Amino acid sequence: MKSLDGMKPLLMILPGLALAMFIIGYPIYDLGFTSLQEVSRFGKLLGFVGFDNFREVFSDPLFWASLNRTVIWTVTVVLSTLIISLPIALILNDDFYGRGLARVIIMLPWAVSLTMTAVVWRWALNGRAGLLNATLMNMGLIDEPIEWLAEAQLAFTVEILVGILVSIPFTTTIFLGGLSSLPRDSYEASMVDGATRWDQFRHITLPLMKPFINIAIVLNVIYVFNSLPIIWVMTEGGPANGTDILVTYLYKLAFRFGQLGEAAAISLIMFGFLLLFTIIYVALVMRGERQTDTIEEDE
Amino acid sequence: MSAKLKKSLLYWLMLSPLVVVILFPFGVMFVTAFRPREELFVFPPRWWFSEFRWSNFVEMWEKTNFGQALFNSLYVSIAATALGLLLSIPAAYALSRYRFPGKSAYRTFLLMTQMMSPIVLVLGLFRLMVVLGMVNNLNSLVLTYAAFNMAFTIWMLQSYFSTIPRDLEEAAWIDGATHFKSLIKIFLPLAVPAIAVTSIFSFINGWNEFVLALTMIRSSDDYTLPVQIYSQVAGRYQVEWHHVMAATILATVPVAIVFSWLQKYLIRGMALGAVK
Repeated sequence: MKSLDGMKPLLMILPGLALAMFIIGYPIYDLGFTSLQEVSRFGKLLGFVGFDNFREVFSDPLFWASLNRTVIWTVTVVLSTLIISLPIALILNDDFYGRGLARVIIMLPWAVSLTMTAVVWRWALNGRAGLLNATLMNMGLIDEPIEWLAEAQLAFTVEILVGILVSIPFTTTIFLGGLSSLPRDSYEASMVDGATRWDQFRHITLPLMKPFINIAIVLNVIYVFNSLPIIWVMTEGGPANGTDILVTYLYKLAFRFGQLGEAAAISLIMFGFLLLFTIIYVALVMRGERQTDTIEEDE
Repeated sequence: MSAKLKKSLLYWLMLSPLVVVILFPFGVMFVTAFRPREELFVFPPRWWFSEFRWSNFVEMWEKTNFGQALFNSLYVSIAATALGLLLSIPAAYALSRYRFPGKSAYRTFLLMTQMMSPIVLVLGLFRLMVVLGMVNNLNSLVLTYAAFNMAFTIWMLQSYFSTIPRDLEEAAWIDGATHFKSLIKIFLPLAVPAIAVTSIFSFINGWNEFVLALTMIRSSDDYTLPVQIYSQVAGRYQVEWHHVMAATILATVPVAIVFSWLQKYLIRGMALGAVK
């Protein structure tokens, strides 16, 4: 009976585990294999070439340019999102008139898919008839319509701003979760000691929020680094590869240019990076769980 | 003026730039979807338009094959959700009720696969579907969505299942019910709300997914909504923006309302409860 009980849960997790292993595991294996092969345009493997594909990737200036932009994209979007989201979470955590409405509005970008958001912005930023130009011209801020997406530098900047906008709701939610778990008595004690609100923020809120900030950084890095729709829909990495980040460049190599060997190599490089951040994430979650456990045991 | 009113005004003032930027694309969506075609490209561009053209929606539906894409999206999202839940419910039950060898390794595996994004593996996934002969087949999306979603659904379900007291099931066992019977008769009815919320999120994930649908589906009859709408925009000399925005409204607004309503439950599936 005991041994049967040991088997039953395993049988219950097995079907799902098998599907996940197959659908996620096989592609990883295939990418590893393909990256070491010479591959024809049509996906036919032509034989083992060692690390030639990786060498090709590393000597490709477009790879380095995309990598460079990936770093800029990820770091700017994640940092700006954090800096904007923390005060928003502080505001939404406080009691004021219309807070419910404010919460709904701030969370709205999360409710719409990235693809659709990007489609709408692509139209809103249209150089000839876009309503962003209409608004700015009405306000007298510009005299002539601006072609927002025609020039790489400007287009990339705009895409980063959209990236920040869509990352705010999720990050704010994490922070709100953190703020709601802060102990009220520390604030009351510090008030007695004559601390200002800024002191409270620096010496109580910020240190206690640290685990949440860490989680928000790691999750946002993972999501933003991987995000294809915004850039793909708004500019497809163009003009002239000027807004390509690694995911868009990888996608072009694989499905437009038929450079499958190189694409497989880039996929693996990105997979390695993703794995690294995932491990950090898992470690953070596990540490959080252990802390919760010890607190519960203390009680 | 009371202190709270003053504070409220100050807060709204601080939030206002962001509120404007968030609402801006929704405004763009609505005023474009309803305006007559000839008012799309006027110079200088303006918000104002002369009449509400409800017929834009009817026209769009016919011209862009919207109904077919809607059906494809519904099929893929529902089938992937059903498959995912069928496999997730027993796994989540096992996680919340039993100790078994490898349990913590399994939890780690779930957390890691939850972060695995399809885009990094997209080439490998495409080659897998070639091997399986499933390119240009909506079921390729059903399989991949179910697989990539499962970590999330299992995690979310088990966090709810753990809150359902065991006593009820144990009482049934004492009365002579088998584990299977107590699962069906006692546990599952209590778990219905959790399962409903989880399936809605799983559905929305499938509904919104773009990269895999763009990759696996080649013929326009099998496009899901995001790809269908994207194909109205990309690589076209003349884009019928009023149709695109009408389609965007139909494809996003109902889902966005449901999402906003249930959003507070989402965080439980993200293993963040643990950080608290």
